[in-house]
Amino acid sequence: MKVSLIIGILIILILSVVAIFAPLICPYEPSAIDQDSLLMSPSSKHLMGTDTLGRDLLTRILYGGRISLSIGIIAVGIATVIGIILGSIAGFYGRWIDSLIMRFVDLMLCFPTFFLILAVVAILGPSIFNIMVIIGLTSWMGTARLIRAEILSLKEREFILAARAYGASPLRIILRHLIPNSIGPVLVSAILGIAHAVLIESGLSFLGLGVQPPIPSWGNILIEAKSTLGIAWWLALYPGLFILITILGFNLAGEGLRQKYE
Amino acid sequence: MGFILFLTCATSAYAKEYGDALVVGSISDARTLVPILASDSASADIVGVVFNALIKYDENLNLVGDLAESWEIEDGGRIIIFHLRKDVLWHDGHQFSAKDVEFTYQMLIDPDVPTPYSGDFERIERVELIDDYTIKIVYKEIFAPAFSSWTMPLMPRHILANEDLSQTEFSRNPIGTGPYKFKSWRTQEKIELVANADYFEHRPFINRYIYRVIPDQATLFLELQTKNVDLTGLSPLQYTRQTDTAKFKKYFRKFCLPSFGYTYLGYNLTDVRFKDKRVRQALNYAVDKNEIIQTVLLGLGRQSLGPFLPQSWAFNPQVKAMPFNLQRSRRLLKEAGWQDTDGDGWLDKNGQIFEFTIITNQGNEQRLKTAEVIQHRLAGVGIRVKIKVLEWSVFLAEFIDRRNFAAVLLGWGIGIEPDNFDIWHSSKTGEGEFNFISYKNEEVDRLLEEARGTFDRKRRKSCYHRIHEIIYDEQPYMFLYIADILSIVHSRFQEIVPAPIGIRYNLIDWWVPRAQQRYKK
Repeated sequence: MKVSLIIGILIILILSVVAIFAPLICPYEPSAIDQDSLLMSPSSKHLMGTDTLGRDLLTRILYGGRISLSIGIIAVGIATVIGIILGSIAGFYGRWIDSLIMRFVDLMLCFPTFFLILAVVAILGPSIFNIMVIIGLTSWMGTARLIRAEILSLKEREFILAARAYGASPLRIILRHLIPNSIGPVLVSAILGIAHAVLIESGLSFLGLGVQPPIPSWGNILIEAKSTLGIAWWLALYPGLFILITILGFNLAGEGLRQKYE
Repeated sequence: MGFILFLTCATSAYAKEYGDALVVGSISDARTLVPILASDSASADIVGVVFNALIKYDENLNLVGDLAESWEIEDGGRIIIFHLRKDVLWHDGHQFSAKDVEFTYQMLIDPDVPTPYSGDFERIERVELIDDYTIKIVYKEIFAPAFSSWTMPLMPRHILANEDLSQTEFSRNPIGTGPYKFKSWRTQEKIELVANADYFEHRPFINRYIYRVIPDQATLFLELQTKNVDLTGLSPLQYTRQTDTAKFKKYFRKFCLPSFGYTYLGYNLTDVRFKDKRVRQALNYAVDKNEIIQTVLLGLGRQSLGPFLPQSWAFNPQVKAMPFNLQRSRRLLKEAGWQDTDGDGWLDKNGQIFEFTIITNQGNEQRLKTAEVIQHRLAGVGIRVKIKVLEWSVFLAEFIDRRNFAAVLLGWGIGIEPDNFDIWHSSKTGEGEFNFISYKNEEVDRLLEEARGTFDRKRRKSCYHRIHEIIYDEQPYMFLYIADILSIVHSRFQEIVPAPIGIRYNLIDWWVPRAQQRYKK
């Protein structure tokens, strides 16, 4: 049980440190074109090889990691805040407010998220900011449902009744008592959500609708891999591997935490 | 020579066989099949096999008769009389006649028809029908591109006489005289043509011509590998590294031919920043064209040094490339007032950062990579560049036609005739016309007019040489490269003979032995 949590956290930590200190670790510039080393296979000079413009792949992956991870974290941040606010209002006030918010959640869940995001990006145009916000705005529903369910059961407990009897305001009850007591499952879903957001970002960038060149992201590095698959395996393998490991890390950590809370 | 003769003798010893289909793979879909409106390469590709013109270029780039059987040129070139073939039928069975030529001319000069090709035909004083198969064209004055302008495909009068060309059904259901008849068009998917059994030269041997739209080079290449596509262009990487396997050599033939086009970065000259010539020159000094050729084209191409191709007589050999020179670039930018005053690494002027967006069309990886190299190099002198890749029809309709861009990465396919009036003359800036960067230079205007007003090769040459000098100095485009044309064809097609004009000039002679035919029916 605990092993998966530790491995997950370790992976996340290592990835974060490497991404944060990318400029110090990498010997190359992520956009430095080198016409003498086009599509070189991995060697001691370029540990993960180079791409079709002779740029160092390791450098681009590490810089790409900064982008991909920060998009994931910020998008989930946005989603979690929205989810907590709407979920706790629905759970605490009940009645028609609850129905209204929950029907809205159902409505949002009806859309296939990825296609909704594609459509919105096509209208607003691809940029890192837009992608963070759009992913955030389309992935808060799970959190909202979780929080609501927790609060529904919590609000009948004695300590909440006591708080009410003392005349605490609804806001105080929600902020001081209900949310802190239901944060466990939310944390789990947020961590799993980051993995999901990283995957969506990669998918969008792969389709050319995410992070735009020359800023590298794992998804847009993979675009090139598509046309060079037969001759440059490293262009597909390494970014793919990083996506895999990242998602594995967040999922292990999320699952580990869940088991701890249960 | 002996070798070629031997080959033709050997093949003609066998009877050629009919049947099969040629599947052409393309990144972009056609826009319109009205010949005088088609200006993109996909549309021109289809128009080229569905329609004919009065004359055409043969494999060695000489002008020869197509629907015209013969012609006379009189009064020092002011008058051309075409004698038309009498055995030509439109695809609906209607007889082709001189009235169709007259009609096409009338449409070309109709101000309500948004054609980019009107320029060449506005020089005509009158068109006279001598009889059903003879037409006399009288020019206002000597007009050098006059004869070659009749490579314009002709349209049927009996169908289009009362139609609005920009709205007509005909644009998606054309009727021509060419070797292939239009059958169907599924947008963004495929266009299907069938052999015209009554074609006046002879019936094409290949029964169907299928134009498949696959808007992504990698997918297109996979379709080629699985043999769902027979003919397509290759990227330099595909040409040099991915098609060298034994399997490819067995099933396909590759061709590398010099091209008649160049790739450029065009600036919107109505944009204040690009109005300054020093800025444009600075941008040119900041980008290493050889680096682009080596990285993007893998050496399969050469530097473009102006609006003419090096093999043309119009090309001025005195024009020397502005070298890659960062110091000069920075100095020019400084002179133009662009400096990094706040130390953020980006040049600014009056509080505005020097930042602009390059737009280019989707599906062309070479152009995207070129844009990335330019972006990287311009960042080196402190100019921030963004890249926007757009789907082709949106690219033309929303951005190019509406002049809604700062800089555009595109290519021109230019003819053998050096007259490029439509691209550079300041009168050609209207919607749908080719001077979409709004270039205006009085001397160039005058020289363009002078050069087309004479047949004297020497005088024309000196005009074009001067135009070349001025345009390269003014840098309305950053001239980038002339890429070789790389193409690949399935090896079951016989009688493909590469020539200076390319490989497709004798399409109607291509054939496939019955045993190797893939598409029955």
